[in-house]
Amino acid sequence: MKPRAASIVTDGGVDAETNIDAGTDRADETPGADNTAVVGEGETSAETQSDTADPDALRTEGLTRRFGELVAVDDLSIAIPRGEFRSLIGPNGAGKTTTFDLITGALSPSAGRVFLDGQDVTALPVADRVHRGLARSFQITTVFGGLSVRENVRLAAQSVLGTELRPHESLFRSTASFEPMTERTTAVLDRVELRERADEPARALAYGDRRRLELAIVLATDPQVVLLDEPTAGMSAEETRATMALIDDVLADCTILLVEHDIDLVMDVSDRITVLHQGRELATGSPEAIAGDESVQEAYLGGVRE
Amino acid sequence: MAGAALAEQLLNGLTIGVVYVLIAAGLSIIFGVMDVINFVHGELFALGAYFAFALAAPFGGAGFWVALVVSPLLVGAIGMAIERLTIRPLYDRNPLYHILLTFGLVLVVADLVTIVWGRQGLPFSPPPALSGPISIFGFTYATYNYFIVGSGALLALLAWYVLTRTRFGLIVRAGAQDREMVRDLGIDIDRYYTLVFGFGAALAGIAGVVLGAYQGIDPSMGSSVIIPAFVIVVLGGLGSFRGAVVGGLGVGILQSLTRVYVPFFEGLVIYLLMIAVLLVRPTGLFGDPEWNADAETDAGLLVGRAGGLLDARTRYRLGAACVALLALVPLGAGRLYSPFVVTLLTDVLIWALFALSLDFVMGYAGLVSLGHAMFYGIGAYAAVLSLLHVDGSAPLALVVAVAVAAALAWVVGYLSIRVSGVYFAMITLAFAQLLYNLVFKFDFTGGSDGLFGVDPYYGLGGVGVRLQEIQVGLGAVQITGDGLFYYVVLACVVGGYLLARRVMGAPFGSVLRAIRESETRTSFIGYDVTTYKRRAFVASGALAGLSGGLFALGEGFVAPSLLYWLRSGEVIVMTVLGGMGTLYGPMVGAGVYVTFADLVSSDVAYWRLVLGSVFVLFVVFVPRGLVSLPATLVSTLDRGRGGPGSATDARADGGSLARTEGDEDEEKESGSASEATR
Repeated sequence: MKPRAASIVTDGGVDAETNIDAGTDRADETPGADNTAVVGEGETSAETQSDTADPDALRTEGLTRRFGELVAVDDLSIAIPRGEFRSLIGPNGAGKTTTFDLITGALSPSAGRVFLDGQDVTALPVADRVHRGLARSFQITTVFGGLSVRENVRLAAQSVLGTELRPHESLFRSTASFEPMTERTTAVLDRVELRERADEPARALAYGDRRRLELAIVLATDPQVVLLDEPTAGMSAEETRATMALIDDVLADCTILLVEHDIDLVMDVSDRITVLHQGRELATGSPEAIAGDESVQEAYLGGVRE
Repeated sequence: MAGAALAEQLLNGLTIGVVYVLIAAGLSIIFGVMDVINFVHGELFALGAYFAFALAAPFGGAGFWVALVVSPLLVGAIGMAIERLTIRPLYDRNPLYHILLTFGLVLVVADLVTIVWGRQGLPFSPPPALSGPISIFGFTYATYNYFIVGSGALLALLAWYVLTRTRFGLIVRAGAQDREMVRDLGIDIDRYYTLVFGFGAALAGIAGVVLGAYQGIDPSMGSSVIIPAFVIVVLGGLGSFRGAVVGGLGVGILQSLTRVYVPFFEGLVIYLLMIAVLLVRPTGLFGDPEWNADAETDAGLLVGRAGGLLDARTRYRLGAACVALLALVPLGAGRLYSPFVVTLLTDVLIWALFALSLDFVMGYAGLVSLGHAMFYGIGAYAAVLSLLHVDGSAPLALVVAVAVAAALAWVVGYLSIRVSGVYFAMITLAFAQLLYNLVFKFDFTGGSDGLFGVDPYYGLGGVGVRLQEIQVGLGAVQITGDGLFYYVVLACVVGGYLLARRVMGAPFGSVLRAIRESETRTSFIGYDVTTYKRRAFVASGALAGLSGGLFALGEGFVAPSLLYWLRSGEVIVMTVLGGMGTLYGPMVGAGVYVTFADLVSSDVAYWRLVLGSVFVLFVVFVPRGLVSLPATLVSTLDRGRGGPGSATDARADGGSLARTEGDEDEEKESGSASEATR
């Protein structure tokens, strides 16, 4: 995974990388690690970079979400360069899932902004973000249980390939007659090795297969950035290995943000790791840097470790 | 003087308002704790009044006081029995099934009441001590009103105390938050649920006693109070006790003031208020926004297992055979069987189209519309108005019906679809009731008489034929005007079905199905769920409008009852009875329901009791409807034999459409010339 990231990361990304590699003393130099410094910095970069190619596939600026008194996500600014495999870790209640909800648009932020590919998507609904290349897999698998495996994938393919459909086609033409959708569906099913089970209802799949289907749905939307919410939760060690290998394989060209409780797994697969604590960004850096970070150990590894 | 009049109206409003609070508080607690939308609450309220009537008589002067204590206890006991026997098996299901079940119970209880106490209103008055006026500070007013306000306020306070300050209330509120967690703590939460249901029912019972003595007792008191009660609960926020109190008093006073000062808005104002509140605050005034989040994760709707036993080719042939058979029916009318068969089947087909339109949104997009009769009714009104004032052309009238209903569906959908789940069901109900009350108000809609005297011709621009003037003769076979109209209806219904099927097989329909499975997931793969739902709603409204238009053409009249909420309930019953999410299932359901209601109503006076009981059994035991019955039976049998085949891959013959055909045959043979009561 790491060689891939290094080869894809653009100039800006490399910059950030060097900063991060400096390890624990990055806070005074690195944009994205220091919460207060970032807001001003981010605003200028948004203006200058929005129409040029942004090195960051996904970026948040001062992202904040309050639930009454509780600040679930607090002034969070992260930037993920294209192609990076980033993990988001933190104790329970650190704000990981809320961060996902804010990035995908399931929740709207109390303050702050979200950028996809340099474009401000803060005001866009969930569906529009998907069309801009953002995909999400869920912690609890939410495939369409009553529909066939094939239909699950086909719907995802239709979502991105069917945007040009004329009204009469959308209303009256049989779904089976759209070649590109059928092709992508079959290709994706092959990729995740679910083709043999394509005509079974999704809810009949075993747990591991259902997670693969979840991945297939993500893949079929042709994403640039993929948010993975505990993709291996509840799996055996072997299943976990297989799933991570599959993710590495099928999502090789994507920028990935992973939420995961299994620290060993995170250390193993991530290019960089962001640690959240009480809604705030505690540290961001390479797995080695994070493992050696004292504040992280204090707040997370030494404290509540699941 | 004006001040005194105003004060009197305020007190009148307060009196009714307090009674509303008692009813709405029970409804709201039951929803808050168990997520049950309890339609039968109105009937429990009525039972309170009837029990009071029965209890008071033997006790003379003290009768009222005995009734006030005993009657609510009886109603509470009945409520507990209802919870125990019918609602408990359904807790894991989507709240829609609670609506359906309690709707079925409404039919049962209402008919039981009329069986025991008759259809006439009954006299029941407050005890002598409370009758007559009383003067306070020179202001004279009825003692009994003061009694209602005082005792009602006391009871509301008591209920609030029990819920917030006692151990019972604590457990109940905890159970509302997380049922499993409370159970894991070793508390028998089921028992508490039963008690809560009984408690809510008893509150309704008290309201029944008190209001019965105020306004008299009649069989319709339940169905007339339930809709305002729902409005109050939704207005205040489902599950919010404070909302029920504020909503109840507010609605009581508002109604009372409107009646006197702006009579035009009587009957409209509460629906307008509810719609306005829901548009601004989609969870009601004091509603907890988290309820909505909860609703999202609820168990889905149980759709019919369509064609589980037959392959596509066989099903296609069976469908074609059914249509062919239906097409032959008018040929034998009057010779092989009574011409009434044609009339009945016309009725069945129109209902089938209506049920199909509901299935389009409910069975596919998961939108439970409790006010679908508004599109049917508006279609019928639009058709008649077009025939009377524009042109006598029947095709034109149908086009107008479809267009007007679609436009209404667009407006209602645009405003309603942003609210989700149960609130959506309630807001559609409010729109339908608003429209129902509106047609009484205007001359051009004919007020309570409705409109009649249409004479449609089949053609355009004055050129065409009148069906009743044609006799098509082929030797011995004569087809009358009724027979020709039957063909018009059959063509529309088959056309509507094929169209709907086509749409469901196309990208648009596939997204609707995805929405029904999981709305969140659908938006996360990139579909704008709201837009899809709105479009589906418009299409559904158009189909319902077509069916209403056909009704108007066939019957030649329209009346406000076409828009009444019970009609919306009936079409939901048909849809679920047949098996929603299959398109043809609801049509089969319509056939069975209409035929059954017709046959039974001609022989049994209390057909709603029979129908309601059958429906309750269906909701509990066969929620996937008639069309999935064969597949369910086969899979049960397989399991019994230890066979490997599940319902989905079993390939046995016989099958669901054989059953369907049987039903249709039944309809054809039902030639007894009874009066169609709907």
